[in-house]
Amino acid sequence: MPAAVYGLNGRELADGRILVNIGPQHPSTHGVLQVIVELEGETVISAEPELGYLHRCFEKICEGWSYPQIIPLTDRLDYISAIFNEWVYCRAVESLMGLEIPERAEYLRVIMAELNRIGSHLIAVGTFGMDLGATTPFTWVFRVREDLLNIFELVTGARQMYNYLRIGGVKQDIPEEFPTLIEQFFAVLEEFLVNYETLLVKNPIFVARSKMVGVLTAEVGLAYAATGPFLRASGPRLDLRVSEPYSVYDRFKFEVPTGTNGDCYDRTVVRLAEMRESMKIIRQALAQMPAGEIRAKTPKVLKVPAGEVYTAVESPRGEVGVYLVSDGGTSPYRLKWRSPSFVNLSTLPELVKGTKLADFIAILGSIDIILGEVDR
Amino acid sequence: MVEQLVWAAIKFAAVLGFMSFNAIFLVWLERKVAGFIQYRYGPMVTGKPHGWLQTIADAVKLLAKEDIIPALADRKIFILAPLVMIVPTFLLHIVIPFGPNLIVKDMEMGVLYFFAVSGFTTLAVVMAGWASNNKYSLLGAIRAIAQLIGYELPLIISVAAVVLLAGSMSTQEIVQSQASWPYVILQPIGFLVFFIAALAELNRVPFDLLEAESELVAGYNTEYSGMRWAFFFLAEYGNLAVMSAMIVTLFLGGWQGPILPPLVWFLLKIYLVAFVIIWFRWTFPRVRPDQLSKLGWKYLLPASLVNLALTSLYVVFI
Amino acid sequence: MAVSEPSQQKIYLPAESVTDPEIPLANLVPAGLGVHLKRLVQWGRKSSVWYLSFGIACCAIEGLMAAGGPRFDLDRLGSFFRATPRQADLMIVAGNVNLKMAEVVKTLYEQMAEPRYVLAMGSCACSGGPFRGSYNMIDGVDQIIPVDVYVPGCPPRPEAVFQGILQIQAKIMAQAEKGARK
Repeated sequence: MPAAVYGLNGRELADGRILVNIGPQHPSTHGVLQVIVELEGETVISAEPELGYLHRCFEKICEGWSYPQIIPLTDRLDYISAIFNEWVYCRAVESLMGLEIPERAEYLRVIMAELNRIGSHLIAVGTFGMDLGATTPFTWVFRVREDLLNIFELVTGARQMYNYLRIGGVKQDIPEEFPTLIEQFFAVLEEFLVNYETLLVKNPIFVARSKMVGVLTAEVGLAYAATGPFLRASGPRLDLRVSEPYSVYDRFKFEVPTGTNGDCYDRTVVRLAEMRESMKIIRQALAQMPAGEIRAKTPKVLKVPAGEVYTAVESPRGEVGVYLVSDGGTSPYRLKWRSPSFVNLSTLPELVKGTKLADFIAILGSIDIILGEVDR
Repeated sequence: MVEQLVWAAIKFAAVLGFMSFNAIFLVWLERKVAGFIQYRYGPMVTGKPHGWLQTIADAVKLLAKEDIIPALADRKIFILAPLVMIVPTFLLHIVIPFGPNLIVKDMEMGVLYFFAVSGFTTLAVVMAGWASNNKYSLLGAIRAIAQLIGYELPLIISVAAVVLLAGSMSTQEIVQSQASWPYVILQPIGFLVFFIAALAELNRVPFDLLEAESELVAGYNTEYSGMRWAFFFLAEYGNLAVMSAMIVTLFLGGWQGPILPPLVWFLLKIYLVAFVIIWFRWTFPRVRPDQLSKLGWKYLLPASLVNLALTSLYVVFI
Repeated sequence: MAVSEPSQQKIYLPAESVTDPEIPLANLVPAGLGVHLKRLVQWGRKSSVWYLSFGIACCAIEGLMAAGGPRFDLDRLGSFFRATPRQADLMIVAGNVNLKMAEVVKTLYEQMAEPRYVLAMGSCACSGGPFRGSYNMIDGVDQIIPVDVYVPGCPPRPEAVFQGILQIQAKIMAQAEKGARK
């Protein structure tokens, strides 16, 4: 007679149910997330994410580092969309200092950020295909992404951790041939999007696997403070770029794609549509971009006046925010990171109750979490 | 007596050789086709040109790997499962007609024998999944049982229609009866049902639920390493070849074809079918286990029954 | 990118790290054939270094995904990913290991079948990287498992990972010749 087996929350595990540890080493946890799943046959009874496998003491480290030093460190949080982390951090520091950013720098930030959004969504839709068992979209995504990374390498010098933004502007200007390269890349991207839709989105198996799977209602999503394409797939048209336009976003015309059902299918479609919108924004930004300085004058030793501020930008995963407290010194007194992945992930137990194990994987993939950001 | 023994040894060696060649060639083909579909090259460095020695290197490595039997595993069953997997694969080759006289044994009940023996695969999967004492393996094994009935019935009923037309269960006679028209033309529904069900029987995408990589890590063979896993691997590709051979035998006219010798025709057709199956793997996502059952019971089974009824009417009245 | 033969690669390994490999059935074959058997086995091991798909952090995107993707394609060298540690030969530690993760990494390493290799990818896995010295980190994965090859960078480019894997191949071949020279 074996001893009683305890399930989640210390409840005794009912007969015929098993606990499965999905992760931290599992092909589809997108990093080192562990989810403890209680299964009855194939049906998920309850699931509980277990965090902390990638906790890197980010916020504590920041308290000892000077303000400019922190910028490359923020890259390592949401490592697929690094520009947004830099941006939100720089905005926090700039707004405390009351810095005026040159207009050209703002445009450069928008262009690089939107390019990064494309890259991030590419990985999101690619890995989602992988989670459903289709390996080919994943490699197609990486083929397109390599073209994108060429552009990033040209401008920022890095493939993944860009360290491109500076407090008060950006590191360097774009080269002359940039617009041509962008158009070449967009041609490749357009072709990829059509191919991806033909290969995966229109595939009946894909539709059967993702339609009405993991439905997030708008009420639940808002109650959990979910943001980003994950929430927009459920209907709410919440996008910081439109609702409280920061930088120069109020000068561009673009749609905010939303879904209706809030299922895995809608999330994929919304991400694909957002890539097209990003292309629109970049084209407009390139056309409007004024000449001029790319960085404001900042003192050699950066001291931020005492005070506190919360800033947020719309990252590919939702609202990424920084709450920065300064005591007037050269390094932050406290820095709190609001990571959209973490907030979106907290809806997982609601979404997966009663679904099948295969759906559980699909739902987890469709949230599009980055563990570096969840655990910080 | 001696002559019989020699013949038996030759046949044994031939089947073993064919099986090993298939495993080596098809794994290589799979990786090259995958590369082609995914804008990659696939194996290039090991053996030039195009990494043709790759699978042999893999085999050498797997044979020399440490043999792990987990402490909590059911030792006897754990050791037995790969053998239960590989022996039926070997036995399946017996009834495959490679040419007019090129068959190990032309049984009267050849088709029945084939599908009876191929059922062992599931047994091996269940044994492996149970004995590993790993939850992913167990889930893979449970899925194997759950989907078994879903696809076995339509598979066999669609074969029954072919048997009706041919008037024999001998594989050789089925091939000969396709001299004018291959059954893929006379039996389009039966062919489709058989092909889909065969994919499920082979555990290939879109029905690779037993070792669904993104869900169950490696499914029933999660705990297997080295040699023992190589057996599963060999059996998987052996089954792929032998099932392609059966599809060719039942529906595509077997070894028959103009100009080229029968063996060449047969091999060409086998690898064409195998290529299509590999192509599917790199194109489709995976279905959910309940969707496979639904497909089997609600669509494939009725379709195969209608097909059987139509064929019976055809045989009786025309 | 041209991939040169591992035999032409310069090996950056200390001589004492090249150990005599274990070859099964080696004592059954006659002495003269033993060397050839060893070369054959080591060639097999070299040519199919399958890596564990275990991405911890940022480096996973470059080292596992991009390196296996279209432009770089680790499959050319015969390396592709296996999801279960039992069937993998190489663990690419792609990211920083904290105290909670350390046990998992150790378990995974122990679950891998011999011969097994470890490639520490990125500054974090080599020495702690930018997070070195903070309260939850292990400064370098070599504190918990033996590492064969270090690939520094934050993150290293996929080419660097290629070089790391070529170094592991070179090390395997160096093992094959070790006994032969005696």
